[in-house]
Amino acid sequence: MSNSHLFLPSGFIRTPLQNGLGRYIPQLQRITIKFCKSHGGSRGVRDFIESDLMEFAKTNPGTVVYLKPRRHRSPCMVAEYLNGEREYLSCHEFSRDEVYKWLSYMCTRSGIPVMRFRKYQHTDYPTIQGVWNPFTHQAPEINVAEFPHEVLSKPINHGPTATEQLIEIFKKTQLEDPANKPPN
Amino acid sequence: MAALWKTCQQCLRYGFTNASIYTSITAVNVISKRNFKAHWVAPTLRELQRRKVIEEDRGGGPKIFHRSTFLEWNYDAEIFAFSNRLGEKFNDSSLRAALTHKSYIERETARLSDIGVESNLQFQDNEALAQKGGEIMSKFINGYLRAVFTQVPEELIRAMHDFLTSNPTLETVAKHIGLGDLMLCADFPCKTETYVKSFKAVVAALAESSGEERARIFVQDLVVTQLYGQDVNELWNPVDPIGNLTAILKREGKAEPEFRLIRQAGSNSILAVYYVGVYSDKNFISEGAGESLEVAKEMAAREALKKFFHTEDSMRALPFGRQLKNIQSKIAQLENQPNVPLSEWISPKIMSAVH
Repeated sequence: MSNSHLFLPSGFIRTPLQNGLGRYIPQLQRITIKFCKSHGGSRGVRDFIESDLMEFAKTNPGTVVYLKPRRHRSPCMVAEYLNGEREYLSCHEFSRDEVYKWLSYMCTRSGIPVMRFRKYQHTDYPTIQGVWNPFTHQAPEINVAEFPHEVLSKPINHGPTATEQLIEIFKKTQLEDPANKPPN
Repeated sequence: MAALWKTCQQCLRYGFTNASIYTSITAVNVISKRNFKAHWVAPTLRELQRRKVIEEDRGGGPKIFHRSTFLEWNYDAEIFAFSNRLGEKFNDSSLRAALTHKSYIERETARLSDIGVESNLQFQDNEALAQKGGEIMSKFINGYLRAVFTQVPEELIRAMHDFLTSNPTLETVAKHIGLGDLMLCADFPCKTETYVKSFKAVVAALAESSGEERARIFVQDLVVTQLYGQDVNELWNPVDPIGNLTAILKREGKAEPEFRLIRQAGSNSILAVYYVGVYSDKNFISEGAGESLEVAKEMAAREALKKFFHTEDSMRALPFGRQLKNIQSKIAQLENQPNVPLSEWISPKIMSAVH
């Protein structure tokens, strides 16, 4: 189960220009839909344009929609993003719902190429309290201590753990119960 | 034939150039399908690719075309989409003026006079807008920095401001909001200065159209967020941290800083590490690590200064977007009040006790 056989590039999740940190800017700059007015393969695209396209354009006023009717060509759409990337999708023999689905997919992407995410989170500040080093939490007394030292040479005594304390409490209750029981 | 001539004219007018710095971005196919192609398709495509590579090398790189040379281009629609994408309302004339460069106007008038047509082109260029935009952008950035970094000396504020208003930063912002296709300029591919000028002019146009409040929020959302992920201590460091620390403690009336070795390991090896702590009157201020005693001393002094200025690695996250709602008035107030310079810096608790 490795990823080395995949040609898909991998990377950490990122967004162009800290999008969303200040305000969210929809990254789809323009979409060009090419279709044929008469051929059957463009039927879904034609139906989409007649019924759902206006609503799409109204809900996404930041995206320019270009329509290119071209005879004897199969339908396609090309999405251009703010970072300069382009995506091509052939819509040949798509249904109207499929066209709508793929168009809304294009809307939600940034132009960053499809890649396998190594992690679903990313931070520029990986540590707040500082990375552990062997000097962290060391008692300053070791600097002037003469070894062997009566306290520092012994193993560290952390005191009873929570589990041990609970066992002690339970044992105490066990010992009390038989004493409280009235003799039969 | 007429369409071909028109396309050629447009190409010549807006320019296609053979530039080797740009790689033409090929469209990526979203749905991969298995295709069965005839036996001659692959060799044909291979030969065409070979010839294309030769032509590109001869021409100095792949040809790039301005987006406006395409048939599917509607400048009015693009401008409408630009303002909606940012969620701002612009005056049409202000925005168009902000995107028009002097070089473009000059080129157009020269071209028309070459043809022989006398024209009074009603274009307005963006020189004045860019100037004004640069000033108000600096003002807004300084206001934000001083409101968020209250304890920081003015030198660091200036360094952060210079980073945010530098050409590379503003060019990145301008490119990523889509200004590249909208600008009317004579140079293609557009220079950095053109992008920066357009962006500053757009800020001024926004201030004219929607008011200064909206322009301030715009700058905060787009320019100031570029500070995220930057270590502010890499942008500026005091030249003599030990001297500065001594001066600050003296001004505050505290004892002189005393440097003591806290930890050391591997002193005879290449990977030696020394931890030096700074104490004032036996009170621990900070510690720093280094490969030699002098370096460790300097790092300890730097950490002490970072602690005073609240710019340590563990400092509070910078507020952006909606988190700025409550401090907008404070930001506006501090736009014209510089922070204390390093030569006079003392801790605010002492300052409030004195005043």
